[in-house]
Amino acid sequence: MSSLQGLWVIFRKELRTYFVSPIAYVVAMIFWMLSGFFFVRILASVVDYSLRLDASPFGGSQPFDAATILLQQFLNLMGTLFLFISPILTMSLYAEERKRGTMELLATSPIANVTVALGKWLGALVFYITLLIPIMIYQLVVYSSATPAMNYRLFVAGHLGLILMAGAMLAFGMFVSALTDNTIIAAIGTFGLMLLLWVIDAAAGQSSSGWDPILRYLSILQQYGNWVQGSLTTSSVIFFLSMIGLGIFLTVQAVEGLRWQRS
Amino acid sequence: MIEVEQLTKVYGSFSAIENVSFRVEPGEIMGFLGPNGAGKTTSMRILTGFLPATSGTARVAGYEVHENSMAVRERIGYLPETPPLYPEMTVENYLGFVAELKRVPAGDRAKQVDRAIERCNLQEKRNTLIRKLSKGFKQRVGIAQALVHDPPVIILDEPTVGLDPKQIIEVRSLIKSLAGNHTIVLSTHILPEVSMTCDRVVIINRGKVVATGTPSELSQQAARSTQLTLELEGSPEEIQTVVAEAGGQVVQMQGAAQPGRFQVTVAHAQGGDGWIRDLASRLIQAGLGVYEMRRSQVSLEDVFLQLTTQEEANSQEGGDE
Repeated sequence: MSSLQGLWVIFRKELRTYFVSPIAYVVAMIFWMLSGFFFVRILASVVDYSLRLDASPFGGSQPFDAATILLQQFLNLMGTLFLFISPILTMSLYAEERKRGTMELLATSPIANVTVALGKWLGALVFYITLLIPIMIYQLVVYSSATPAMNYRLFVAGHLGLILMAGAMLAFGMFVSALTDNTIIAAIGTFGLMLLLWVIDAAAGQSSSGWDPILRYLSILQQYGNWVQGSLTTSSVIFFLSMIGLGIFLTVQAVEGLRWQRS
Repeated sequence: MIEVEQLTKVYGSFSAIENVSFRVEPGEIMGFLGPNGAGKTTSMRILTGFLPATSGTARVAGYEVHENSMAVRERIGYLPETPPLYPEMTVENYLGFVAELKRVPAGDRAKQVDRAIERCNLQEKRNTLIRKLSKGFKQRVGIAQALVHDPPVIILDEPTVGLDPKQIIEVRSLIKSLAGNHTIVLSTHILPEVSMTCDRVVIINRGKVVATGTPSELSQQAARSTQLTLELEGSPEEIQTVVAEAGGQVVQMQGAAQPGRFQVTVAHAQGGDGWIRDLASRLIQAGLGVYEMRRSQVSLEDVFLQLTTQEEANSQEGGDE
């Protein structure tokens, strides 16, 4: 019970830190602007395609499911967009505590390192989910007018996938942040890691060697992509959960390691 | 309340502290005195459970700091060298956060925060963002943070460093007012702080305890040994040799106003007056110019310098062997 209470304390503190930080508002603004811009672009192209299909003599035999196409393309884009904003969400999680010396307060309080890490990770994730809420609302408004009607299961599953993927990336970003006491280095390091994931993803898409299935499996974006396409499998749930677990485990190890350093 | 036995912390080949042992009785203020880099912060970090010791044991309120870390953490308030503050929080929010972190039951939290604010005289800054506070106030918030959960033991690492004289006096009187209800360990490299605030002193140098006692005991011990202040003309090596031949020890030597002359402070372990005569005649025989020679009042400061420099000389000898 007490560790649950500890989790709650850290979680609330982290969330409050986001909401009072000007950086978080700048991130929110850029995120909403970009996602909104791309949503409108994708929406326009889907509508355009659907109109042309209607006009063509071959169209109409199969109903064109515009809402699902829109959802899938938009979620893919949101996945890529997240790579770019996640470093800013995670950079200060530990680096800032180390710089300010508040790490010493946390480490000498009756709370386990893993509880602190979980609370921080949850705080970052909930902040991201908060950023998603308005985006989900305008998507629902658009989907509600689609014919044939939107399959809302796909909507829920797709967004759940997005959140799980974000959780995995945030856990790794948190780990990078625990390695340094400089938020800029933490941000750049996390950004590098995200780029690497992106490159792995691109490589998995192109290569036809024996590595392909391995790269495909390791690529968080590929896993997420499969999910968005509607193949919601237990294996990919396990994949994301274990990525989150690994990120948190590495964070705790990094924090434990701090005690052995001379300072 | 605090029992430290044979505590050693080794970083690679460097030992930050070696066989440090001391006890602190309930309600006492214990001063941990030593020059910078003597191992004060390391010792305190071990006491708070932040660092694991290489060997030895430390008990706080009966709990071993490493084995029962969580129990110890609940019973300790700790102010590190830099107060661990979140600049974007207000004083009240911050103290509430720390109280929750230290597992103060929800019903008592507001009361405890109020009490800490009152004791540290922070009423007017209650709703101010910590970012906007002066250094003195930040330090007070740091102390408030250490006592918000009413811990039996409070550990303060250099609580007055970087404050102006008025703030130093305030912080010292605040610390004194906490004694009795709390057992306090405070580290410092400033001597007057110890004689003003502490009941007992542990002097540490190069990771070893070199003296323990009450400030007055240490001064008395010092008073028994005499110190001489001399102004001499000659080479530093020559002065060192002659003083050593007389059984004395150079505590301090610095260039005097005239070139070639030195202000030398000499101490002697046995004390008495005999060695002064001896030293005087040896100095003359060696052909050194003696321009001044007077007995000086021995303060706690001198004891400290004597103890810490003596240790240095000994360890150098050890290195030569």
